[in-house]
Amino acid sequence: MDTYMHRRLLAALITASILLFGSASADETCMSPYMAKIVGQEDFVYVWTLGIEGVGDEQDKLVTIDVRPDSDTYGEVVHSLSVGGRNEAHHSGLTDDRRYLWASGLDTSAIMIFDIHTDPAKPRLSRKIDDFVEKSGGVVGPHTNYALPGRMLLTGLSNSADHGGRTAMVEYTNAGDYITTHWMPTDDNLNGAVKGGNFADGYGYDVRALPRRNVMITSSFTGWNNYMMNLGAVMADPEAMQRFGNTVVVWDLHTRKPRKILDVPGAPLEIRCAWGSRSNYCFTTTALTSKIWLIYEDDSGDWQAKAVADIGDASLIPLPVDISITADDQQLWVNTWNDGLTRLFDISDPEAPVQILEKKIGAQINMVSQSWDGERVYYTSSVLSNWDKVEAPEGEDLQYFKAYNWQDGELQHQFTIDFLAAKLGTPHQMRFGAYSLYGK
Amino acid sequence: MATSEQQPHHKGADEPQVLAPGYSALKFPAPAARSYALPSLGAAADGVLLDSSGAPATLHGLYDDKTVVLSFIYTSCPDVNGCPLATFVLSQVQQRLSSNESLADKVRLVSVSFDPANDSPDVLANYGRSFRRHDVDWRFLTTESEESLVPILDDYDQAVIRDIGPDGESIGTMSHILRVFLIDQNKNIRNIYSPSFLHPDILLADILTVTTGELPTD
Repeated sequence: MDTYMHRRLLAALITASILLFGSASADETCMSPYMAKIVGQEDFVYVWTLGIEGVGDEQDKLVTIDVRPDSDTYGEVVHSLSVGGRNEAHHSGLTDDRRYLWASGLDTSAIMIFDIHTDPAKPRLSRKIDDFVEKSGGVVGPHTNYALPGRMLLTGLSNSADHGGRTAMVEYTNAGDYITTHWMPTDDNLNGAVKGGNFADGYGYDVRALPRRNVMITSSFTGWNNYMMNLGAVMADPEAMQRFGNTVVVWDLHTRKPRKILDVPGAPLEIRCAWGSRSNYCFTTTALTSKIWLIYEDDSGDWQAKAVADIGDASLIPLPVDISITADDQQLWVNTWNDGLTRLFDISDPEAPVQILEKKIGAQINMVSQSWDGERVYYTSSVLSNWDKVEAPEGEDLQYFKAYNWQDGELQHQFTIDFLAAKLGTPHQMRFGAYSLYGK
Repeated sequence: MATSEQQPHHKGADEPQVLAPGYSALKFPAPAARSYALPSLGAAADGVLLDSSGAPATLHGLYDDKTVVLSFIYTSCPDVNGCPLATFVLSQVQQRLSSNESLADKVRLVSVSFDPANDSPDVLANYGRSFRRHDVDWRFLTTESEESLVPILDDYDQAVIRDIGPDGESIGTMSHILRVFLIDQNKNIRNIYSPSFLHPDILLADILTVTTGELPTD
């Protein structure tokens, strides 16, 4: 291997690990179908932000940004609520009534429940769950915070026994009381599931529900040993590099029992299901192989998975992170971390997505959130504290929140908030708030 | 406030609203009763109500030793996938229960209004008369006042917003997330239903799952 190739592979592995250790998730068009939704102008974007050593108070915090175009404080941080430490802040999710925002940490497994309805401009910490691992029976790394009627479903990434990738989903009441744990099926315990291919790894990552088909879909990533390990150590350990998920599991939504394990090799991350009343399919993207996969119900009612498109040039390791489906199921935003691009795919034929646009957003990119009407698109940059890039090329933003309008087939930049200059930390997941949700 | 399931969004903005699954045959096999677990979501709170004759009643009095299906409604609710759905599904469950006497004896259906200003006991009595059968226990209740209703709604995490017109006055409708509760014979909440899976087949399977004792399943 010559030096150039070695460096290129090294960069690929580094960025792959960065991607895999972080993640991305949803927005107004990608949230639970059980949830109240903002169909007009959102008032605020809540950004779950990682505390970083040497930046501001160094604590994880919930940052509130005013996005009302007619507001005197449009484009400004109007509130910041620090939570007293660093937890590897990652994903967040709203309860079905949108009165509370749950935000979790991958390292400490702490979960913060913020009251966002009493004063949507000034969230306050309502409850902190710090016994998630104990109560769940050993689940580590709460990731997706997903609303079900009157309850929250949290996917785990790992477990306390070996800190590997075997994990579970955990249910809580909206008030934050533990209900039950559902372990992912493995070869040792399929729990009634049909193994559709070669893998039954028991890994977890994201979850989405299709209530009209009584189906729940989960994806798979990697365990605490990998996502909290020094990157160089992961790269030096070939076995560790093998410990990434290769499965998507189809569950019975009502009984919470796994039905079928599908092979989706290469760490399938975010899941986005179509909204159409006759569209029985979801998309995911694989981090390691840079592909869009279609998870779909076939004519016989069985669920299948197949790769339907490449994302960029896979040999350049673009590393897809967050994805966002439009409310009409016609387009899919796909961010690629390594090259800082947001890409738009035409998915009007879900079996043959076609990329129709790409635009550089920053030196790195992770999350994308769009309004229900698709007219506003927001981006953040951070993946994980230990893996984020520390320098940006001249003229490229490193740690940012960016707002765009989507108009006439173009992303029109509205404003940028530099989270390092503002001494906030590094911005991760975004959720929307609006006074109208609460009759205010 | 609207949920995606109450106002389904799909291709074509002018596509008509899709009725909730509860109005038609279930599109997938109903779960087999007692083949799955419905762990407790916590204790169901008490509350002071008025029954449809105007007499005082309490939620815990209604729950006593019964498996209860509790829905919050208001009689002038205009959203077909909201309160009318809840009442329709309960009426279908009632019909199934009427042919299963031993199960019907263990089950009570309870509909509580969150509009005490308009839903008096008399109004609820008339409303209930349109749906209730004589061989199944279905109660319609309201509260003395808004003040007595609020703690019940708080306890059941049932957010309700009175819709306000341009003049700042109530326009008579309310925005709310539809929630229907399944409560077991020990006064524990065992499931919370939304429009997407509030269906008589599912509700009956869940009732059979949480109700103790030997029970016929049809």
